[in-house]
Amino acid sequence: MIIDDKYMALTLGFGNFYGIDSLVEFLIILVSFFISYYSYKIYKIIDEKNYKFLSLGFLLIGVSFIFKILSNLTIMYRVAIERANFIYVIWTQFQYAEMIQFFSFIFFKTFHLIGFLILFLIVSKTDKKEKVLLFLYLSIIVVLFSIYFNFVFHMTLIFLIMSLTMHFYENYKKIKSKNSLLVFTAFLIMLLSHVLFVISDFNPLFYLVGEMGLLVGFLCLLTNQIYLRNKQKNGNKKNQVRDNKRYAAGFAKKQKS
Amino acid sequence: MLQVLQRNRKVKITHLIYKANLSNNSIKPYVEDLLKKNLIEQFFDEEQRYFRITTKGNDFLSEYSKIKIFSESYGL
Repeated sequence: MIIDDKYMALTLGFGNFYGIDSLVEFLIILVSFFISYYSYKIYKIIDEKNYKFLSLGFLLIGVSFIFKILSNLTIMYRVAIERANFIYVIWTQFQYAEMIQFFSFIFFKTFHLIGFLILFLIVSKTDKKEKVLLFLYLSIIVVLFSIYFNFVFHMTLIFLIMSLTMHFYENYKKIKSKNSLLVFTAFLIMLLSHVLFVISDFNPLFYLVGEMGLLVGFLCLLTNQIYLRNKQKNGNKKNQVRDNKRYAAGFAKKQKS
Repeated sequence: MLQVLQRNRKVKITHLIYKANLSNNSIKPYVEDLLKKNLIEQFFDEEQRYFRITTKGNDFLSEYSKIKIFSESYGL
């Protein structure tokens, strides 16, 4: 958005690489919320805590990306000062916009870390309160450190996602199903994405590739959900055919009698 | 029990007892619960009592298999 005039202009940027990262993050939000909703639905049916926390984990990851998009937004205004024959152009960020960016980034890191931490606690079956509290405390420390050291944030996530990936790999070896393979692949790609984020300071292109990787990871999780949905549809069709046969058999019997 | 009823068109209580590996008395509360929840229905054919799964029962089983796959895919 640009309000232009000779001396002043207002620009709204949607993120790096012409806002591609924000678009990718928006899609990730949709996938995260979808998994969170489905997991909550299961919790409502079978009343098992694991699904409630899985839902919470994905919900927090989704919310964290909302804050990431907010932190991507940059509102700048241009001031042109004319002096003699020269025009000085100064780009300045609004004071409040800077604050929004700063706090959004902190919220992104906090929610993102807690979201993955919850997933880790579920799969590692850590349900003892003291352990959960210890992990939470360590996460807060990490968030505090990562405000100024992005490296700490990504490294912590790498370790968390690595544990998750190892768990999903073990699970895939045990189950050997298409669905478990998809979940394992999703987390493996997410892990590689975060490795790319760590080295993105050397080349911004790594950041874009990392974002794309994250999207592919979440799309794998979405594919897993779609397989489940299709399975239910096929199941319903089979049931419908069987119900019809049953009805026809009953009707024929009545006719005979 | 639901799976047995899903595989068969009509099932006698004795067959259910055999498949569930329960006694005549201990199977009663389960059957009553399923009947109360409209997951199965009973009917009489030539003075014999039979059970069959309802559409709701089928839906529940189909959702259950989905939940099972979801849970397995995350190793929960």
